[in-house]
Amino acid sequence: MTMLLDVDRVTRTFGSVRAVDGASFSVDEHSITGLIGPNGAGKSTLFGTIAGSLRPNSGRILFSGRRIDRRSAHRVARLGVVRTYQAARVLTRMSVLDNLLLATTRHPGERLTTLATRPRAARAHERQTLERAHEHLALVGLDSHADAYAGTLSGGQRKLLDLARVLMLEPSLVLLDEPMAGVAPALRVQLLDHILALRRDRGITFLIVEHDLDFVMQAADTVVVMNEGRVLVVGAPAEVRTNPDVIDAYLGKAH
Amino acid sequence: MGQLVANGLVTGSVYAIAAVGVSLVYGILRLVNFAHGDFMAFGALIAYAVNGPLHQSMILAALAGMAATALLSVALDVVLWKPLRTRRAGFMSLFLAAIGLALILRQSLLFAAGSGPRSYRVNPYRVFVIGSIRLSEAQVIAIATAAGTILVVGLFLARTTTGRILRATADDRALSAVAGIDVGRATRIAWVISGLLAGLAGVLAALVEYSFDPNFGFQLLLPVFAAVVLGGIGSAYGALAGGLALGIAQEVSTWSGFAGGVNPVYKPVVAFTVLALALLVRPQGIFGSARVA
Amino acid sequence: MSVLTSGGFWAFVGVVAGIYTILALGLQVQFGFAGLLNFGQVAFMAIGAYTMAILVVKEGWSTWLAAPLGIAAAAAGGLLLGLPTLRLRADYFAIVTIAFSEIIRYVATNETALTGGSQGTIALGSIGTATQYNGQWSRFQSHVQHSLGLSSSDATMLVLVWATAIVLLTVTWLALRTPWGRVLRAIRDDEDAAESLGKNVFAYKLQALALGAALAGVAGLFYAWEFSFFSPDDFQPLLTFFAWMILLLGGLGRVWAVPVGALVFGFIFAGTRFLDFVPFSWFASDERAYLRLIIIGLIIVVLVMVRPQGLLGNRREMVLE
Repeated sequence: MTMLLDVDRVTRTFGSVRAVDGASFSVDEHSITGLIGPNGAGKSTLFGTIAGSLRPNSGRILFSGRRIDRRSAHRVARLGVVRTYQAARVLTRMSVLDNLLLATTRHPGERLTTLATRPRAARAHERQTLERAHEHLALVGLDSHADAYAGTLSGGQRKLLDLARVLMLEPSLVLLDEPMAGVAPALRVQLLDHILALRRDRGITFLIVEHDLDFVMQAADTVVVMNEGRVLVVGAPAEVRTNPDVIDAYLGKAH
Repeated sequence: MGQLVANGLVTGSVYAIAAVGVSLVYGILRLVNFAHGDFMAFGALIAYAVNGPLHQSMILAALAGMAATALLSVALDVVLWKPLRTRRAGFMSLFLAAIGLALILRQSLLFAAGSGPRSYRVNPYRVFVIGSIRLSEAQVIAIATAAGTILVVGLFLARTTTGRILRATADDRALSAVAGIDVGRATRIAWVISGLLAGLAGVLAALVEYSFDPNFGFQLLLPVFAAVVLGGIGSAYGALAGGLALGIAQEVSTWSGFAGGVNPVYKPVVAFTVLALALLVRPQGIFGSARVA
Repeated sequence: MSVLTSGGFWAFVGVVAGIYTILALGLQVQFGFAGLLNFGQVAFMAIGAYTMAILVVKEGWSTWLAAPLGIAAAAAGGLLLGLPTLRLRADYFAIVTIAFSEIIRYVATNETALTGGSQGTIALGSIGTATQYNGQWSRFQSHVQHSLGLSSSDATMLVLVWATAIVLLTVTWLALRTPWGRVLRAIRDDEDAAESLGKNVFAYKLQALALGAALAGVAGLFYAWEFSFFSPDDFQPLLTFFAWMILLLGGLGRVWAVPVGALVFGFIFAGTRFLDFVPFSWFASDERAYLRLIIIGLIIVVLVMVRPQGLLGNRREMVLE
């Protein structure tokens, strides 16, 4: 198994708080890795550093062997690392279809220079994107909502839209931030199926932050446990579940 | 050079006092009070009315100016800012409303008082000499008052319950409300203090300039904002530091030792250049909190 | 009151409305579409006007070369402002833009050798000569007037300004319907989300700022030609606030709302100039000037409170939160 993502002693502080403190772990290609830990363990911050919206104070992050820790978020996204947010960040004041049409890289129509010099290529790419957008909408069952404002969608529907958008970007690594939060049980099964199917059919690698431990145990090949900014344990779900340090960490927080 | 630093302290004191007021209001309400400069002009003019036509002492005039400005601030909160808060107005709406308010205030002052210059009844020729530094009476008053005010405000914020409430609410409004803090009261207090400080800063600025007209508020506003941003928006201590720093930087930049020095006409530009450079290095300001992604 | 029935007066109001349309359109691109809080728009107007005037008077350039360069200079000003400041948070950015516009005005007032200083463009030429920069433009305007058979130079300017405005409005409207425009709208909606979709938000914002600045430059040119003379005091922050008011009036985020807002504004602004009926006739003229601005300030505040989406704006897409 080749290593797709390598997080190497990453530290990120906010003032005097060490949100992430020398965290290290790696993610294998085509795997589904769960990232768990009590609240405040630093999981979302770590996501931020991987996705490029936060810069680590020290450490390195390598994606397919290239350093991405100093790159801006949009560049990291273009390299194939896409993240979602806990509350699906759809563009509420634009249509569902527009949300998807934006999920494309290297569209000649999006740059003023290429728009002016290569209008035919721009139109062709737009047609293509439109087709793919409809396909992806159908995939998640939202095609009847194509023209609605994304703001009118329910929480679960927004998650699906988010997922569709992520897929359109044809990522290699997807960072899912609490995909199950606020999702009805019936939809959870659907989401799980989608994720497994995507790994199987498109070879996408997943790194998932989740509090729903059942989901993590079912879906993940490897589980990374964080606590107070540090990585406690990395291992298979069954091992991690019975690890005394892990149990301590969770119980300790419950005080 | 010593003279320049002294002058800088004077200007900086005025900026600092005004900047604290802006910062307090921003901290509690997330409102950039664009009308603050005109509050200052209002205070200065009320003081003039008391000092000139009503022939009262400067101290009484200053207190009247401060009280009137505080009253105005609270009244505006009731009439304008509270209704906007009820409508859940966001940052943009508040900013635009503040601009509209500034326009109304300034033009009202012009309407009521005309655009002619005015002066307080003080002796501009009385000078204090300390070593090689000459300061007019007005300048000495300004520095002394500012120092006293800064001390009082600083202690108030740090030591009194109300002060701590203000800082807590500035930190997190929602949390404070849940914790049982009377956010409405904290808001009113913030406006009162901001108004008092604005009035004071206006009177001091008018004193130091010797002659002033209703337009001078806006001219002061930009360096004051620069001071607030430099210190870190929302941090009262930062505003103090920022104000003093900018005042001194402005004056010192004209020192002939700096390759002839900056043309004094461009002093405000210096304030902004300092601000711009500072923001490039530390985008959240000196005491500001880093943006949490 | 007789002025209100004179065609010349209304032509003038129309010209001013047209100039403001172009200025506010620039602001619409910057804020209505990219979410940039630019409170220094008037600075780019000044850069456009002054660049053209200086090149024509001091360097003897043809107006037809100087004008495009004025627009380019304004756009460059936008880039210059944006490069260091666009990464700042929104409120800091707003304050810095005001500072920028005041600095430009300061430079124009004090660099007398370059700009004629506070005396304005009259002092652009050598001492003792009152110079004009719109010789060529006036000839062009007469030419148009005769070809189109128009009755006055006011009417001609009206046509020229609005023809330009309509072209610019159309081009902007079309541009916003492109994928490029879609990215802009996404940035306005949620720039972090746009960034995580792979869009270089900073670059787009810079483009919006520069394009908006270029439009302000065009407005500056027409201002210069309409009034034949200008000075730094013509470019006060007040004009930027008027442009904002126009956006508020017409509606944020809609290209065709801009001319509507500008016309309403022009009407209010010019109309209140002639408030010579009771009770306004009780006041002296400078007092009436202050009253007009008070009324405008009140309108801004009321709009923000009551109808932040403007006359034509869409509540759903309302950008003011």
